[in-house]
Amino acid sequence: MAEYIKYIDLTKCTGCRACQVACKQWNDLPAETTQFTGSLQNPGDLTYNTWTLIRFDELGSGKDIKWIMRHDACMHCDWAACIKACPSPGALVKTETGAVIHQSEFCIGCKACIIACPFDIPRYSVKDDKIAKCTLCYDRITNGMKPACVTSCNTGCLDFGPKTAMIEKAHTRALATGGTVYPNNPNYETHVLYVLPADVKPLEISHMNPNPKMPATVLWWKHLFKPFTLIGVGGVAGLALLHYMLRGPHLVEEEKKEGGEADV
Amino acid sequence: MSKREGMVYVTTAEERIIHWLLAGSCLFALITGLGLMFHSWYIIPTMLGGYYATKWMHIFSGVVFALSLIAASAIWWKEVKFVPDDAKWIMQAGGYLWDTKDLPPCGMYNAGQKLFFWFVFVFGIIIVATGIIMWNPLPYPVVMARWAYMLHAMSVFVVASFFIVHLYLGTIGNPGTVQIMFHGWATRAYCTMHKGRWLAEKEGKTEAEAEA
Repeated sequence: MAEYIKYIDLTKCTGCRACQVACKQWNDLPAETTQFTGSLQNPGDLTYNTWTLIRFDELGSGKDIKWIMRHDACMHCDWAACIKACPSPGALVKTETGAVIHQSEFCIGCKACIIACPFDIPRYSVKDDKIAKCTLCYDRITNGMKPACVTSCNTGCLDFGPKTAMIEKAHTRALATGGTVYPNNPNYETHVLYVLPADVKPLEISHMNPNPKMPATVLWWKHLFKPFTLIGVGGVAGLALLHYMLRGPHLVEEEKKEGGEADV
Repeated sequence: MSKREGMVYVTTAEERIIHWLLAGSCLFALITGLGLMFHSWYIIPTMLGGYYATKWMHIFSGVVFALSLIAASAIWWKEVKFVPDDAKWIMQAGGYLWDTKDLPPCGMYNAGQKLFFWFVFVFGIIIVATGIIMWNPLPYPVVMARWAYMLHAMSVFVVASFFIVHLYLGTIGNPGTVQIMFHGWATRAYCTMHKGRWLAEKEGKTEAEAEA
C-alpha cells in the first residue's frame, strides 16, 4: 500500500470545525462539556476524546489583524518519537500507509509517548489508563476512502492523497501564495503537511513546534543507555567469570593452608 | 541468636531483612524494567502476566526499593563513611586483582563496599526521583520529564553494572560471605581477614563491658 499525506492549507480554513465533528462521528468519540473562553477554539485543547481541534490565533493589532485557524492533529511522523518511547509492542504502530496508529488493547498507560511526542499530541485518560490520538482514519484509508476530517472539509483546506502528489501540491500552493510548507525538515518527515500563509511563521502560531525533531533525550535513552545496560551487565558478568577463572575465589587464610600445593 | 562455636555474628536480623528487600526489589525492578525496555524480551512480561501487569510490578518494586534504600542508608550510614586507610585499599584494588601484602584491616565494610553503597545511594536516588516523575509525567515541564526518562536509563546502567560486581564478590568470589546475608554468622578467620578492625573494636568493647 502506498504512503499517503494529509494536506492542510491554512489560507483556506474558515474555522467551521466540520473536521472536528466528522472526527468525533467516525471514531465514535463522545462529546465533552466545554467552556467558552472568549475564543473560537473549543474545546481548549486536544483530549482523549478529541483527536483533532481547530486552534485559533489572532495575530497583530489594530487594522493589521490576522486570524489563524489551524487544524491540529497527529502529524504521523516517519521516525516517530512516540513509537520509539513506547514499552508495549503493538500499542503504537507505524503502518505501511504512513499513519501512526494506537491500538488501545496493547496500551499500558505509561504516558511515555506523550512526553516523547514533539507535537504534544497523545492524550491520556485516567479512567481507561490508556492514551488516544488521531489515526489518520487508518480504517478508512485502507478501504479506499479519505479520512473523515478531509471528507467533511468544504473549503479545500484539507486534502488527502499519495505522498508525492501532496508534497507537490503543498509546494505549488506555497509558491503561489508566498507562504511556506511546514514542517520543512528533511530529517524529520511527517505524513501531514501544512501550507502556512505568507508572513506567518510557525513560531507565531500557538502550539506549533517551530523545529520539530526526534527529542535528543529519547535518542540518548533508547540508542545509548538502553544498549549500555546490556553491555554493562553482560560485560561485568564476563569479567567476573574471567576473574574467577584466572585468580579464583578469595579464600580465607586458614582455608588456603589446608589445601597446600597441588601435585604437578 | 544462639552462640555458635568459632563463629562471629556479623549482621543483625533487621540489617539482613532490609538488605534482602533492597536487593530483591532492585533485581525485580531491573528484570521488569528490561522486559519493558527491550521488546525482544517479551518473554519477561509474558511470564509475569502481560505488559500492563509488568508496568505495575515495576512501579511497586520501585516503591519497595525506595523505602528499603531509605532504611538501608539509615542503618549503614555510620559504616560507609570513608577513612584514610580506604585510600590504601583502593590503590591495591583490595588485593583482588594482583597479590598484595600490606592491605590495611577494614572496618565493617571495605572501601569497595563503601563505594558500591555510595553509587547505589546517589544513582538510586536519581532512579527513584525520575521514576516518580515517570509514574505520572504530565504535571511536569516536558523538558524535565524527557530528561527524567534518559537519566532513569543512565542510572540503571550504572547501578546494574555495579550490582553484578557486588553479586560476584558477595557469593562465589568470596567463599564464606553470602551466609552473612542469610543467617548473619561468619567464621572468626573470615572476620579477621575481611573485617579486622571491626572485629577488634567489637571484641575490645566486649572485654570492656565484661570488665565493667
